Amino acid sequence: MFRNIQQKNVKLLLCIAALLILSALFFYNIYAQKQEQLVIRLGLFSGSNWNVPSGDSYAAIDNAIKNFENIHPNVKITYVSGIRKQDYAEWLAEKVLDGSEPDIFMVLSDDFNLYSTMGLLQNLDTLAESDPSFDTDAYYPASLDYGQYKHRQYALPFESVPTLMFVNKTLLARENIAIPENGWTWQDFIDICRRVTKDTDDDGVPDQFGYYDYTWQQAAASNGLQLFRDDGKFSYFADSKMAETLKFMIDLKKTNMGHTVTAKDFDMGNVAFRPFTFAEYRTYKPYPWRIKKYSSFEWDCIEMPAGPSGSNTSELNTLLIGMSSRSSHKKMAWEFLKELCYSGKTQRFLPSVSQGVPVIKAAAESDEARQALLYDAPGDEKMNLSIISNIMQSAVSPPKFQKYSLAMLMADSEIKKIIDEIIPFNNALNKIQKKINDFLQN
Amino acid sequence: MTQPKLYSAAAMHYVLYAFNAASVFLLAIFMSITQTKINTSMSARLFLDSVSAVPWSANKIILFAICAFLLLLSLSIIYRRCILTQSKYRYIILALEICSCLIVMRSINMAYDGVILLVVADLISGYRGKNQRIILTAAMFSLYLIASYNLVDLQLKMIPFDVYISYYNQSVQGILKAACNILTSFNMILFVIYTMLLVQNQHQEKERIQSLNKQLNDANEKLRNYAIEAEHMAETRERNRLAREIHDTLGHALTSIIAGLDACLATIDAAPDFTKKQLKVISDTARHGINDVRRSVRRLRPDNLEKLPLKNALSQMIGDFASASGMHISLNYDCCPQNLRADEEEVIYRVIQESITNANRHGHAAHIEIIFSQTDGLLKIHIKDDGTGCENPIEGFGLRHMQERLSLLHGTLKYKSCGGFIIQADIPLSRGDIYNDKNNDSR
Repeated sequence: MFRNIQQKNVKLLLCIAALLILSALFFYNIYAQKQEQLVIRLGLFSGSNWNVPSGDSYAAIDNAIKNFENIHPNVKITYVSGIRKQDYAEWLAEKVLDGSEPDIFMVLSDDFNLYSTMGLLQNLDTLAESDPSFDTDAYYPASLDYGQYKHRQYALPFESVPTLMFVNKTLLARENIAIPENGWTWQDFIDICRRVTKDTDDDGVPDQFGYYDYTWQQAAASNGLQLFRDDGKFSYFADSKMAETLKFMIDLKKTNMGHTVTAKDFDMGNVAFRPFTFAEYRTYKPYPWRIKKYSSFEWDCIEMPAGPSGSNTSELNTLLIGMSSRSSHKKMAWEFLKELCYSGKTQRFLPSVSQGVPVIKAAAESDEARQALLYDAPGDEKMNLSIISNIMQSAVSPPKFQKYSLAMLMADSEIKKIIDEIIPFNNALNKIQKKINDFLQN
Repeated sequence: MTQPKLYSAAAMHYVLYAFNAASVFLLAIFMSITQTKINTSMSARLFLDSVSAVPWSANKIILFAICAFLLLLSLSIIYRRCILTQSKYRYIILALEICSCLIVMRSINMAYDGVILLVVADLISGYRGKNQRIILTAAMFSLYLIASYNLVDLQLKMIPFDVYISYYNQSVQGILKAACNILTSFNMILFVIYTMLLVQNQHQEKERIQSLNKQLNDANEKLRNYAIEAEHMAETRERNRLAREIHDTLGHALTSIIAGLDACLATIDAAPDFTKKQLKVISDTARHGINDVRRSVRRLRPDNLEKLPLKNALSQMIGDFASASGMHISLNYDCCPQNLRADEEEVIYRVIQESITNANRHGHAAHIEIIFSQTDGLLKIHIKDDGTGCENPIEGFGLRHMQERLSLLHGTLKYKSCGGFIIQADIPLSRGDIYNDKNNDSR
């Protein structure tokens, strides 16, 4: 009887072993087949990440794919075209849920925190450290920082866009005001706003204004304020820099004389300043947009004004590209990721087809990029493009932790009430800080 | 009566298997269907917002759940067989079983921890003795620690079952939660019933062993009585035979001798020659008589000894005993004189036979050494075993009989216990008339 059982055991074990070997062979076959023709899937959306009209949005990527496939003939890069930016988040989420997300994909700013916490994005630190041809110092710090979560690199920047200040040159000339120099301050900003705000058609209502769409967040960034501790567990709303910022915002708002400035006022050329992204500048400056929008006045872009405790810092928006942690060809995916986000060739080519700034310093400062940036801009309206590199170098990227957007939403609604003087200023910031800290810590 | 009960525990175990298979499969199907529904209803991004881990694809969930459960099932069956055979691989099998249990639970996002009870059932059914108590406790403890979702969540990121449920509307949510709770509770009930049956089985097994033991003791007692009776009968039979022999041979011979001698007394003076002749006849009769006596006595001797010389008889007896009991018995016969008397041979034979029997029965020895030596007209037989020995041996029939037999030959018996048991029998080798007699006998 015992022998019988043992024999049965042996048979069962043999069966299991045979099954294991068969399945191993099966998977090895699949793997071997994949080795021959390696396919890297790429996830991207059509159109611009900066909400500006864009012609051939795949040009830069197609160029990089071509270069990469020339170097690696056994690799094929595929992507699904035609996914709009507003559909991209859902498309990617569906792919993730289906377990078939691309090896390399563009990461929207709103998705970055989620996907890096979740573990969908591959931690690139080990890949970067073991790759001697890769050096993080080549990047603008703020751009690189954009793809970091808890001090780990989860995505690489592809292109960045800093925020600039749009200046209505015609309006300033009419008021005999010189265009502010680089390094201008809040004081200069508020002085000009006070001077330009007036009722030009004498109907008793002011119709010419100093600024439009300037937010307290932009002011805070240029006043050197760090709103959250790195770990996202504590906020610094009660900081004196925040108080300065708010006082400035209240004063600035008063220059509008209680009138609410609209986009229409700005489009009509009745507003002197408006924060403007570099992408918007690149889009609307050259032909054909140049004659379609903002054509009734001369305009240009300058740095953001500096706060008393800060500098002419602007917030950076960056398009990230990440790698799936479930990718089966991580090594090759990393090579391609480098081709997109690190290779000088792709990055230098970027300005001629896209509206962003290359994230590699050397590429942004290269002649090729400079030529592209200056291309089609009318002769007398060339912005001093050398400042772009400075702006990029000193720019900051928003903090990244899971509750960031919610915390900012909470803070924004409270702070707007202070700026609108619905609630009194004294001690209000302490209350906000306490409220936000409670939210962050629970 | 006990057999059907054993069968019912095994059947219950299969019910447990089947129920868990159904539960795991249902949950896996539910999760993959939900994921597919989420994808088709364009709410994937919203769903991902509420999870903190990368979800497995619908196919992967089903594939892993089924494969890992089948693996768990086969390992569980193998483990149970290993327990029967006490195979040394059973701990490896158990470890693999626990691993596959964890894979099953991981594949369904720890929504159902009932599969742990399958492993626990195996642990309980394989439970033997004190050593395993620690393993059993440790294994169960760690399994439950892993299963309590919060602990695992720290290491393995998973999607809580509630997130899947929250996709549905309020009324469906209630039904789903209830269904999940019913699965868990019902599995618990099945497990408790299984454990109860197992305990009952063990209890009945114990009772059965006790009753069998009693039957065995009764049978032993009967057998002993029967043996005593048989011995008595044999004794009586032997006594009758001896009486018959004595009557037939010795009685006959002595009667003839007395009659002849009486006749000789009457004729010795008148016809001395005739008397002499007659005495010769009487002498022959006496010799015939003694031959008859010897023949009778020889019938009482052991068979081997009757047919073979002492050395061969001993070798054969030892060989038979060794092969029957598995002991190693060495015999050093070199120093034994060749010309021993039949009664001496028999005593030697019996002493050795008894010693070997004792070494086996009381000492549980594995090796016995028998050495014959001869000094100062003494034949010394040294019997040494490596058994448990005996500090104060009670003189039973064996030792006393040996002593009695030896004393008939003016020999002595010494014994002591040191490590094993040592018996030394000394027999004086007095030669002379007996020696001649022996010579005569052998002719």
